[in-house]
Amino acid sequence: MAWFTDRHFFLLAVAAYGLSTVYSVFLWRSGFRQDNRVSYLLLLAGFGLHTMAMVLRGMRLHQCPVTNLYETTTFVLWTIVAVYLVVGLWHRLKFLGAFASPILFAVGVFALMPALDPTHPGRIEGTSVWVSLHAAMLSLAYGAFGLSSAAGLMYLTQERNLKFHRLNAIFSLMPPIQRLELAVGGLLLSGFILLTIGLAVGAFSLTKLNDAQVYRGDPKIIWSALVWALYLGLIIMRWKFAQRGRRFALGAIGSFVFVLLTFWGVNLLSPLHNQ
Amino acid sequence: MIYVIGLSHHSSPVTIRERFAFADARVPVALSALRDSRQVEEAVILSTCNRVEIYASSTLAPKNAFETLQEFLVRIHDYRDPISDEIYKLSEPQSLQHLFKVACGLDSMVLGETEILGQLKKAYEVALQHGHTGRRLNKAFQKAFNVAKQIRTETNIQRGSVSVGSVAVELAEKIFSNLKEREVLVIGAGDTSEKTARSLLSRGARGVLVSNRSHERAVALAAELGGRAIHFEEWAKEFARIDIVISSTSAPHYILDRTKLEPLMKARKNRPLLLVDIAVPRDIEPEVNLMENVYLYNIDDLQSIADDYLKQRKEEIARCEAIIRERVRSLVEAGREAASGGMEERIA
Repeated sequence: MAWFTDRHFFLLAVAAYGLSTVYSVFLWRSGFRQDNRVSYLLLLAGFGLHTMAMVLRGMRLHQCPVTNLYETTTFVLWTIVAVYLVVGLWHRLKFLGAFASPILFAVGVFALMPALDPTHPGRIEGTSVWVSLHAAMLSLAYGAFGLSSAAGLMYLTQERNLKFHRLNAIFSLMPPIQRLELAVGGLLLSGFILLTIGLAVGAFSLTKLNDAQVYRGDPKIIWSALVWALYLGLIIMRWKFAQRGRRFALGAIGSFVFVLLTFWGVNLLSPLHNQ
Repeated sequence: MIYVIGLSHHSSPVTIRERFAFADARVPVALSALRDSRQVEEAVILSTCNRVEIYASSTLAPKNAFETLQEFLVRIHDYRDPISDEIYKLSEPQSLQHLFKVACGLDSMVLGETEILGQLKKAYEVALQHGHTGRRLNKAFQKAFNVAKQIRTETNIQRGSVSVGSVAVELAEKIFSNLKEREVLVIGAGDTSEKTARSLLSRGARGVLVSNRSHERAVALAAELGGRAIHFEEWAKEFARIDIVISSTSAPHYILDRTKLEPLMKARKNRPLLLVDIAVPRDIEPEVNLMENVYLYNIDDLQSIADDYLKQRKEEIARCEAIIRERVRSLVEAGREAASGGMEERIA
């Protein structure tokens, strides 16, 4: 079984996410009128395989597997599925899986590109615990942001059905839009708290480096501060200026799309994160 | 054999049905009178606004049984006018199929409604308590209740709302996470708006405000609904706390337009707002539906949803009838087996 590596387990997990995506199309076409147990079970199976892949990689590295882009991406995806499996225990929020599956599948296929998984460069001595914690917290944060954008998509779908008086608005088994908005807000706030902690831990671990000053203008640090400000802005707009509903859902989706599109590029540009 | 004789909204107008109706208190006496004839072993009387039916078990041949039952119906109500097709008469297996259909709401005026099942259970309980049912009717009614449950869980015949008021409630439940914290504003004290407000209150809405050009009518309706009346000129002032508006005034122009609603939405901190406009001509400018967090439905939108539900229910009739046919077949066969078993015992 030595030939069957953690990457094979992840490949199988992505296949399960792919099957769930296909089922999501079916659910979409039927107007979400059926129970979404199949999607939940497929994602549960994918989660098992995904966890196995991460455990094997972690055991090989003897640390949290967040040392390169492949590992970071798989951690973010793992978080999205983990949070979904908990949230999906609420009957009507099971449909969140139908919206999260395409994201999981697309990003999973992208993560499987060999170039994203170079040979492990070795630990940064003395800081690995903090670095692991930093990376784990940020992965959890991006997972929560990912799921909040899936909830945002769900909100927009249901809102559109209600606005245009489509029968699916009533016939579908999706939750009321007010509850969906609460889910978007809750996930986004959780993600922001995790992001703040993760960045604080990162800043602290940076002080442990001898040449910390060199990394002051690191693109990833600037990008992270920008993402933090972006989400803080969304939260302030939501709770202080009552920018709720459609605008808030669009903000959650847009912010996560921005993270998805720029994460890899910024990571490659960052000397600090390419050690 | 089980027989059914009766009148329903399918066979006769209310002017005739009302003359055959049994008051609740009269049912036990009527059942006793029917069984005292010794022609009928068991009987149940179902009397609702849409039907009057006698379910009876008798060893008489169908022709004699129907004559006895019709003569009883006519005599007890002192009905002297000629009767043609108003009264229907069914013997097994059609009588059992009819009982099952009634229990499932398939014979109701509002297809698939569930109120009739409660009425049927009550009619059966009355007959049972007074000792007017026996092995045959007990089994048939228990099976009927059982089939009704099966059809409710396995088909979509009872799914969705087929009235304007209940569609509005369903919409509210698709927008708000909890109706218990929602305030309803009724503008214009019409009949449909009253029914819609009642539906919302029955599903847990916190309170209702009523505004009408005639303040006396607003006060009267508010008292009936357990709400509060406000003067017609002042309803906009209450808007900050309102989540659902039901409008049905007879105003010839819009009473709520986008210009008026925009500042009101700001005051409400952009919380979702459901506007139900059941007035003709319309009370609310359609443009407001373009505003964020505002959901406007007019009478046609609601009726269209109700019609679609009805269409969906009609599509389920064939499935329901197949289930009923199967259950009637097994009940009739079980009855035959029991009868032949009894015969063999007697011969032995």
